[in-house]
Formats: sequence, structure tokens, C-alpha cells
Amino acid sequence: MKSNAVFFIGLFAALALSWAGIVLGSNAQLGALAPFYDETDATAYPQWMPGAAARGQLVYRDLGCYACHTQQVRRPGFGSDQARGWGDRQSVARDYIYQPAPQLGWSRVGPDLANLGDRKPSAPDAEDLLHLLYAGSDGMPPYRFLFERRHIGTGAQPSLDALKLTGTLEPPAGWEVVPSARAESLVAYLLSLRTTYTYPEAVPFSPPKAQAPASVGGAK
Amino acid sequence: MSTRPEYTPIDAASRWPLLLLLVKGIGWLVVAGILSLTASIQLHTPGFLSGCPLFTYGRTAAMAETAFVYGWLGNAGLALALWTLGRLAGEPLRAQSWALGGAVFWNLAVFGAVVGIAVGDATGFELLGLPRYVHLLMFFSYASVAVSGLLAWSGRLRQVSYASQWYAAAALFLFPWILSIAHVMLFTAPVRGVLQPIVAGWYAQSAWTLWLAPLALGAAYYVVPRVTGRVLPSYEFAALGFWCLIFVGGLTGGRHLLGGPVPAWIPSLAVVSCALLLFHTFIVLLNLRGAFTGSGTALKFISFGLAAYVLGALADALTSLHGVALHTQFTYFDEAQKQLALYGAASTLLIGAIYFALPRITGKAWFSAGLVRAHLVLTVVGILLLLVSLLGAHAVQSQGLLDAAVPFADIVRDSRPWLLAASFAQMILLFGSIAFLANFYTTACEILLVSEPAVFQAPAAQETHAA
Repeated sequence: MKSNAVFFIGLFAALALSWAGIVLGSNAQLGALAPFYDETDATAYPQWMPGAAARGQLVYRDLGCYACHTQQVRRPGFGSDQARGWGDRQSVARDYIYQPAPQLGWSRVGPDLANLGDRKPSAPDAEDLLHLLYAGSDGMPPYRFLFERRHIGTGAQPSLDALKLTGTLEPPAGWEVVPSARAESLVAYLLSLRTTYTYPEAVPFSPPKAQAPASVGGAK
Repeated sequence: MSTRPEYTPIDAASRWPLLLLLVKGIGWLVVAGILSLTASIQLHTPGFLSGCPLFTYGRTAAMAETAFVYGWLGNAGLALALWTLGRLAGEPLRAQSWALGGAVFWNLAVFGAVVGIAVGDATGFELLGLPRYVHLLMFFSYASVAVSGLLAWSGRLRQVSYASQWYAAAALFLFPWILSIAHVMLFTAPVRGVLQPIVAGWYAQSAWTLWLAPLALGAAYYVVPRVTGRVLPSYEFAALGFWCLIFVGGLTGGRHLLGGPVPAWIPSLAVVSCALLLFHTFIVLLNLRGAFTGSGTALKFISFGLAAYVLGALADALTSLHGVALHTQFTYFDEAQKQLALYGAASTLLIGAIYFALPRITGKAWFSAGLVRAHLVLTVVGILLLLVSLLGAHAVQSQGLLDAAVPFADIVRDSRPWLLAASFAQMILLFGSIAFLANFYTTACEILLVSEPAVFQAPAAQETHAA
């Protein structure tokens, strides 16, 4: 390599190739993806996230929840996603078009959350999630800094939002634990994660009966 | 003075930017080690530091990654790229004040990034956890350091260039482009929906194949023939191997998106390009195979790094396949692969080159041969143990995830012993890095204690001390 010009043009061409191929290519394919209008429901899907949920997505990102949770359900036959009740159908690009910061994630130290609000057999409600955030579990750390532990003033009523805690977690008499605004919006976000509407491109593929699973790949 | 085999006034004249970059880099290696150990402990003991919002697992892991990649690999890689380009140019580095200033601001930016992640400004993308406000500073400070290296490249005395120069110059030239493209497409004018993870995946893969891997390979391509004293075998293929990496490498990132909500051609393209990239890996192995038969600390690190590089490329190619990814996707296998590439391959190649370079930059032999040996043993044992324990955790997790009847609590419980072993491995690696830092610092400080200019000693004499 004797010529500087050829060398740097070559480097630049290589970078341009992979950028144009992957980034521009997928942008051409998906960049103008529109919501799907369902005439029976007279509604367009997906719907915008409520404001509290959009704020919650930023809390999710800022705490680093993506390090342990994915938000992408893989198609039936590829992994146990469906069998675990994480979603009836695979996630498709259209699910994410209104999300300001999609959190696909890359690790399943914890369960997938793409369809948490509609998980089978039973989806958690706000109380369950707040309790989990406060108490933690075997594999998940508690996030107590998202809650305020405060004194109930004399003669005052306890807050309606106060967590119902039992056992060792129960605060002493005259004290209560209430979620902060950040905890509330995080929970609003988690509950807003529902992929209940089935787009035409997301129709679950059911492999023909009594066939080797090797042919599943042809169904995309 | 006829025994003097190398021309050293070049090194003596350009030592300050190099020493600054190196000492910062190794300092970040220790910081990254502490953060990685913390993150690793949090995986098996979730309650660890959970009361402190600065150290949630997601934040600790992102901080560790940032300190490791941008602090350690970035600084050390830049230093060695400048060093090899300067030496092969045959004259002292030009624009040294640009390199010095750039180094100072680069490290300020990395510091700002780590603190920014701790207070919750991480972007949530792999390898690009850097808060958006440090990108501009990183761009300009990197470019400023690169000026010095690129001047050495274009002003070289011999017109013919060598493989180590191609790799180093490519890394210096390409990184600011990659970073700025990712910044514009993710933050200035963010693309919609799943295009964000696609752009981030493209960035992460390009940062590895067009920046970190070339930095490490450039250093190895320079050191191996110097130490073995032989021309690289099959050197005529080296250019082919280089262009193969540069053209194909950036296309391999889609394997992480397999089965995800992205166009299916992206992971398919990755299968093809991962296989093509094995051609590059094979040529690198062919060229540098002399490292396996040589002796000395530098070559021991480099041969370990070379083996890890080859193994990593094979693992990438295998896990890009649908049937294998079913078992490895979203598990600790990904983490093991990342550690194999970043620590096993890139870091050990750079460490080997630093063991070769420092005596020549300072004119002093390594301060303590014991610390050198300790570092070698701790690094090799630490990396091997880390890989084995992560693979063990992967085996448990992969089996559990595939069987819908296994609850998550069981997976967590059964993988805990393996994760404990991984933390132990992180601790070993941390001790190794501390030994490295101590030895480096004392050696580098020796040149401050003497008033006369450094006198070069025959490399043989220095390496008997180091080896």
C-alpha cells in the first residue's frame, strides 16, 4: 500500500458500505413504517404511550433495567418465549414505532417484559410490581430508593398509595412506605407494555403437526 | 555502542504523550476491574449495594464496560498506535502537543461518562453507554490524538507501509466517523423504533472490528516480528486479511438481533459475513504464528491473545447460526464471548505490546520481574476461570430458559455457584491489573529521577529481566 489516497478512500468505502447496507438498508425498509388501521375497531395500532409510561421508559433506561431484561418476544418455536406466557405472538417492528427509546435488551437474567401487561396466565398489577420493586426477589435487587419511608403525622390518615407490607418489611407503627413519582411512572410504563393487537405480519406461525422442528426457519 | 539494534532517539523524543496515555489506560484498567467485580457480585447477590442508586447492576455494568473499553483499551490502543506509527515513520512524533492535549481531554470525557452513567444518564446501548453529552468531547479529543499518528503515517520516510501501520492508521481514522454517525442517528436526529437498536448494533460491531481489533492487531503485528527476529510468514497475505476485516467486519453485528423484531436479512447477512471473516482470522493466525514458539513476557501475552482472537471469531461464526443461537442468545454465553474478545484477545495483545514497548520508551527495564510474572499468571488464570465459570452459568441458564417448566428462581439458584466463581475470577484479574499498574508506575517514574537522558540498553538485557 503505497498511496495514501487509495488507502483512505478504501477505508472510507468500507465504512460507507456497512453503514449504507445495514443502517440505510433497514431504514429504507422500516423508516416509514406506519401504524396499522383496524377498520373493525376504527383504531390505529400501536397506540401512543401515555405520558406517565413514556416518563417511565426513561426511568427504566436510567436505572439500567435493560441489563437483565429483554423486551422482544421471539417467534413460537424459537425458544420457550410463548410457552412461558411472555406473548402469544412474536414482537414485530411495528410494536416499537411510537416508543421514544425502545429497550430490546440483550440479556435474560430476568424474564422478558415486552408483553408484561398482558402476561399469561396472570399479569401483575401495579400493587404487585411496586411490592416487587420494594422487596426484590431471589434474582432481583430491591429498589428501595424509589420509595419514601415517612412518618404519618398525628391524627393524619395513612396515604392511599402506601404499600401493604408484611413480615420483616412492615414499617413500625406510625410509619408508611409510599412510592415516589419515579416508581409510579416506572410501573405505569411496565403495565403499558402490552402487545395484544395482532398485526398481519405477526400472525403466530403454528408448525404443521408431527413435523421436525427444523423446518420452522422457513416461516418468517 | 555497536550492540544498539534499535534507533531510540525517536522514542525518547516522543515519550510524554505515550506515557500519559499508557498510565491513564492502566489506571482505567484497575477502575474497570473494581467496577466489574462489583457488577459480578451483584449477579449472585442482588442485594449488594442495592441501597445506593449510583450502583444498580445496570449502571455498574455499563460503567465497567465504559471504563474498560474507552478508558483502558482506548488509551492503551492509542498509545501503541502512535508508538508503532512513529517508529515506522522513522522520526519523532509530530504534533505532540495535539496528542497530549487530546489525551487529557479524552480522559476527562471518559471520567465524565462514568460519572454520568452513575447518575443515570446512560444511553442504554451496548458498548455505547456513554452519555450523549460526552460524545462531542470524545470525538474531538480522539481526533486530536489521531492527528499525531496520521501525520506519522503520511510523513513516513519509506513509502512502503507495513501491516501494523495499516491497522493502526485505520483505527485512528475510522473511530471518529463511527462515533459521529451513531451520535447523529441516535441522538441528534433519532431514528424510529427498532432502527435504534439496529444502529446501536452497527456501532458496537464497528467499534470492535474497525477500532478495537485493529488497535490490538496493529500492536501485535509490530511486536511479533521484532521479538522473534524473523520476517512474518505468509506476509504477502496480510493485506488481504486487513481488507477482509475492514470490509466484512462491520456487517457481522446482526447476529445479536437474530429472532428479534428486525428484518430477517440482517442476521442472515451476519451469518455470511462471520464466515467470511474467518478468512481474516486465519491470515492473522498464519502471519503471527511465530508468537506461539517465541519466548519472553511480551510473546506469552500475545500468543494468549492470538489464541483468544481466533477462538472468539469461531464462537462468533457459530453463534450466528440459528440452531446454536437458540441455546446461546440472551444468556451468559454472550457475556463470555464479550470477555473473550475484550479481555482475552484485545487486552492481552495490548498488554504484551506494552511489555515490549515500555523499556524502549523509557530506556529502563521493568522495575520488578516478580510483578511481571504475577501479572502474567493472574491474567491467564483469571481469564480462563472467568470463561469457564460463565460457560457453566450459561449451561444452567440455557437449559432452564428453554424449558418453560423451569421457574426463574431455579435458574438463579442453580447458576449462583458459577457466578460466584466468576466473581472470584474478576478478583484475580483485578489483582493482576494492580500488579501491572504498580510495576508500570514505578518503572515509568524512574525516568523522572535521573537528570541525564535515557540510555538505551540492548533489548536482550532488558527482556532477561522481564522474562
